[in-house]
Amino acid sequence: MCYIYIEQMFITENFGILEKRRFLITRFRDNEWRRRMEPLEIAEEKVQIQVQGVTVDNSSLSLMEKLGILADSAKYDVACTSSGVERKGNGRDLGNCVKSGICHSFSSDGRCISLLKILMTNECIYDCKYCINRCSNDVPRATFTPEEICRLTMEFYRRNYIEGLFLSSGIIESPGRTMELMYRTLYLLRNVYRFNGYVHVKAIPGAPPELIRMTGFLADRMSVNLELPTAEGLRELAPNKHRRNILTPMRQIQNGIQVNRHDLMLYRHAPKFVAGGQSTQMIIGATGESDYQILNVAESLYQKFALKRVFYSAFVKVNEDKALPALPGGPPLLREHRLYQADWLLRFYGFEAHELLDEKRPFFNVMLDPKEDWAVRHLEQFPVEINRASYERLLRVPGIGVRSARRIVAARRSARLRFEDLGRIGVVLKRAVYFITCSGRMMYPTRLEEDYIVRNLTSEKDRVQFGSDGMSYRQMSLFDDGQYSLQPQQEDAYRVVTGQL
Amino acid sequence: MRVYQCEDSLEGVCTAIYRAYEEHADHQDTWIRTDQELMLFGEYIPVESDSERAEKVLRTLRRSFGQEDLERLGMALTTPEADKAQAVYRTVVHGLRTRPAPGHLLDHQTDPYILQTFRLAKKAGREFGQLREFIRFRELEQGILYAENCMKNDVLPYLMVHFADRFPQEDFAIRDIGRELMGIHPAGGDWYLTGSHALGEALRQTGYSVQEMAYEELFRYFCHKIAIKERKNIDLQNRMMPKRFQKFTIEFAKKGENC
Repeated sequence: MCYIYIEQMFITENFGILEKRRFLITRFRDNEWRRRMEPLEIAEEKVQIQVQGVTVDNSSLSLMEKLGILADSAKYDVACTSSGVERKGNGRDLGNCVKSGICHSFSSDGRCISLLKILMTNECIYDCKYCINRCSNDVPRATFTPEEICRLTMEFYRRNYIEGLFLSSGIIESPGRTMELMYRTLYLLRNVYRFNGYVHVKAIPGAPPELIRMTGFLADRMSVNLELPTAEGLRELAPNKHRRNILTPMRQIQNGIQVNRHDLMLYRHAPKFVAGGQSTQMIIGATGESDYQILNVAESLYQKFALKRVFYSAFVKVNEDKALPALPGGPPLLREHRLYQADWLLRFYGFEAHELLDEKRPFFNVMLDPKEDWAVRHLEQFPVEINRASYERLLRVPGIGVRSARRIVAARRSARLRFEDLGRIGVVLKRAVYFITCSGRMMYPTRLEEDYIVRNLTSEKDRVQFGSDGMSYRQMSLFDDGQYSLQPQQEDAYRVVTGQL
Repeated sequence: MRVYQCEDSLEGVCTAIYRAYEEHADHQDTWIRTDQELMLFGEYIPVESDSERAEKVLRTLRRSFGQEDLERLGMALTTPEADKAQAVYRTVVHGLRTRPAPGHLLDHQTDPYILQTFRLAKKAGREFGQLREFIRFRELEQGILYAENCMKNDVLPYLMVHFADRFPQEDFAIRDIGRELMGIHPAGGDWYLTGSHALGEALRQTGYSVQEMAYEELFRYFCHKIAIKERKNIDLQNRMMPKRFQKFTIEFAKKGENC
């Protein structure tokens, strides 16, 4: 009852217009909204937005054009997961949620398309140097009306194109105004269109806490983008954003989730607040932070802010700016990949950031994944006896993941495991074989030596670089170039000729 | 050696398991088969499917192993493999003898039958997961949502359960082209399975609704726009979304082309 009272009070004070929406709830029952919906062609509502004193008339854009512009602007947001919430259908409304999340398609960059990932608007009053939508950029601008977003979400969802909505936005007029529009959209989607699927929404730093709280009751996941790993980086590249403004809503959501857990223990049917937890994302490679710094930030976010996920986004240079680094080799995808691997180790494998990296070796090994790298540096802890080692020790063996470790622990209760059983269970023996024994024996005679294991773990084509010149896998240096199997491409040759290295 | 020959369905296999226990068969020397292949020295016993007996077996399995394990056994039986009934039968025998905790029926993976059941359940479960992701509904003139796909495993009932929960107020139909089966869900009602040949062809002849092409085009455009060209990786895309599913999705089909 407490929540309903607050909601009503808040709406009455700040959003007179939502009173009308409340009336609509009583009129639109079940799927009646579809029968009453206008045809696509005449649905373009006239929206006028005041941005920095310039009035933008949005009505001339078709829905297709808006979708193109606003999906294009949203694509740099990484999070597209629909996991974390298990919600059965209620027999009346459209949608349910599956805890593991569902990917519905994959785009040509190999990333999953799970949610309708769009911006509410790409108008923005901020001038973040890395962002395509910054106010100093001359790009096509568009704004969705809440009704358009709801309609697209419903129609895509019922055709099984998407699992729900991911709504982010540029800052229009002010953070409060932007958050209000987003709240209004979600309110409409949940209460008028009766959408019961997954909704991920961005919390806008600087928006009133009441609005963030209200939005949290309508969303399954919320996220506030940390943007850059350190406050210095943020000051340099996003002068309008402040670290404190970003962390404040993050803390508020964290507290809200905790309070809600207690409420749910007392009242089973209390409304759920951000049931899927919160996440954030950082841009990798735009500023000079090391992997060690980034991983430490991620670890403290998991520990202190109880985040569900931290996403890493390899920096894609979309603006020309002297403050931004030149990336002749394209976005740092391998670095991003290594960070994700380490992130998994932090969350599921019981590793800590200082075990994987330290100040002397602040970057991940390019050739070995973080777990292999840790293992070859800690050979004193190996080999591990499969039939006796604890679950935690099994998790630290390269080639054994969470699932296979669980299956090993379960299977060895009833029988002694052999190497052939491990293969069937799903252990990647190619990697694990150097680190394990079964009944006291290794699979075949191997040496427990760093260089021997590394030589065998790295793939055939890259093995040549650990040659006779004394080069080591341990840390890349400026001179580690000549013997990669990857040949320079035509673009590289062009860059050399034109001096644009 | 006793061989119970039953129908290729959950009901058939459960009835055969009931018969094996009813007749106090020696489980080490008893086989349950769903195919017609003959075994040397086998004493063949045909088994008629009996829903009452099957229900009894399912009730026992649910009580002994829990819902999760029961679903995995059911999933293993959706595969087309010849030895699935035997694997499930021997897994059940092992489970009823050792009484594992709920969710732990398939833990004993050094046993070849349990391992096989696990593999089959995993294989079918993966396909079910993929179909749940990649099935695309198209709205017909009457407002019915219609989807079709080729399924290696007989997972249509599982799909119907999933989508009936998701779209309770929608009329929708899913067609398994290979098996000529169709699951039909009337809005607000219970779903059912039926033969699909005539019905499926009739539905195919029906035109699409006015807005269908517009939304398909919108989604195609969305998929195009959401990709970051600097990260282009078609191999990864194909790995994540196998080609046999791509041909049934509208974002990979060419404009105006039927899925």
